[in-house]
Amino acid sequence: MSLNDRLRGVFVDALQLDDSVDVENLKYRDIEAWDSVGHMALVASIEDEFDVQFETEQVIDMSSFKVAVDMLRGLGAGE
Amino acid sequence: MTLLHAQARLRDAATGELLGGAELASRVSEVAKALADLPPGVLFLRTGLDLPSVLRYLGALEAGRAVALLDAAQDRDVLDDLVERFRPAAVLGIEEEPPAGYSAEWVREDAEGVAPHPDLAVLLPTSGSTGNPKFVRLSRSALLANADAIAEVLGITADEVAPTSLPLHYSYGMSVLNSHLRVGATVLIEGSGVVARPFWDAVTQYGATSLAGVPYHYEMLRRLRFDPAKYPTLRTLTQAGGKLRTELVTEFNDKMRAVGGQMFVMYGQTEAAPRMATVPSDRLADKIGSAGPALPGGQFSIRDEDGNELAGAGVVGEVVYRGPNVMMGYAESEAELALGDETGGALITGDLGYLDEDGFLYITGRLKRIGKVFGNRVSLDDLEQIVKGFGAAAAVPAGDKVVVWLDGADKDTCKQAAKLLSETLHMHVTGFDVRQADGFPQLASGKIDYRSLEARV
Repeated sequence: MSLNDRLRGVFVDALQLDDSVDVENLKYRDIEAWDSVGHMALVASIEDEFDVQFETEQVIDMSSFKVAVDMLRGLGAGE
Repeated sequence: MTLLHAQARLRDAATGELLGGAELASRVSEVAKALADLPPGVLFLRTGLDLPSVLRYLGALEAGRAVALLDAAQDRDVLDDLVERFRPAAVLGIEEEPPAGYSAEWVREDAEGVAPHPDLAVLLPTSGSTGNPKFVRLSRSALLANADAIAEVLGITADEVAPTSLPLHYSYGMSVLNSHLRVGATVLIEGSGVVARPFWDAVTQYGATSLAGVPYHYEMLRRLRFDPAKYPTLRTLTQAGGKLRTELVTEFNDKMRAVGGQMFVMYGQTEAAPRMATVPSDRLADKIGSAGPALPGGQFSIRDEDGNELAGAGVVGEVVYRGPNVMMGYAESEAELALGDETGGALITGDLGYLDEDGFLYITGRLKRIGKVFGNRVSLDDLEQIVKGFGAAAAVPAGDKVVVWLDGADKDTCKQAAKLLSETLHMHVTGFDVRQADGFPQLASGKIDYRSLEARV
């Protein structure tokens, strides 16, 4: 499975997204589920799925699905 | 007596604009003037964390118009129900299609309406209510008395800069705004929250001096490895909205003390506008787990089930608070907006606790079936009602979350039930831990044995 697909699955699970949500273009606070509480749940789920640990700066910079993809690539995760 | 001190300032992080002095006063007056012409009745204000919301709130107060603060993310059907029951003169901060009886600008077409009681200033929805949300009626004098008492115990001066880390329609968020504007300090309006880059950029750029959070914020700050050394101006932390784990109180208190800062643990309810107690920062370490002594002008007492006051340190009973900041009462309909004070300054909190020999309050539990989800009060019976379509349910508090047991449910049903709770109450789904159950433990009376369920959490 590609990194994008795996990450999409994590987003859908952690934020309990419906099929109608355009996950790949999602940004922080676009939807009610991705609020500050959702963000921390999401970060924890991504860390579990990809076996990585984000730095503080990365957690607060993870403002969209795309940014999360780039961060994971940067960490060499999921490839 | 007004809320807005002549020196008070608003900094809008979105634009960098700093509003103060005569300019701020004239912007507020402009809003107030426009509101004065509206028909009689309460104003509904849908608030976000943005400058227009804050100006509308201040304008309503200046105009002497009672204003109800509502979450802009609230469901439309909840708003429609409130509009029907309270017939507001206008709904501010909304751009959707208005209901029948309202103009395109959301002004009520019927010029006749119940005039709210002249003392009434702010209405806040009781959190977590599901069926029929009601409002807490706060008088102008209660609001100001609480703002003054908070400023005094926290030592807020005109040099402080407080970021908006909490929603305005949440009583704690409102009180951060009130207590700072009252003493001529600056409120930094920033809406993205403590997990986002723009918030911390604004903290640094505009020199925020304090941060207010409920327990889940402190869980997040711990996860973010919050380091006050990185924010040299930020030297005060305040915490309310439920009991924070004592390990975290100690951890953050130590962190702040290490950089010459301070931490305050506080206790309140929306019904008290909202603050009732604050632990002095220099007593936090030796009074760990306490909610603190009553605010200046306030007083705690402990009573038994029959309402008799219990004297003596360490005696557990229901906590009663008396003070100038206690609400006038509740309102469930338009007619009740005209009511005067019904509480006489006494608030029966529904919390169980005791006072120690120094008058410090310790909360030990709840008398009513109430839980907290991320700092918001929810009725546990309401939660059970919401999910009854999935089967018999039993809900118990679990720190900053609730655990709901569903009889005979499978894993997927539990997930759906959690989602329904989240959508109905507009709180994040992780606040609802729905678990499979095979029947519930029962008391001799045949009722659910909630205590033994709580022990299983």
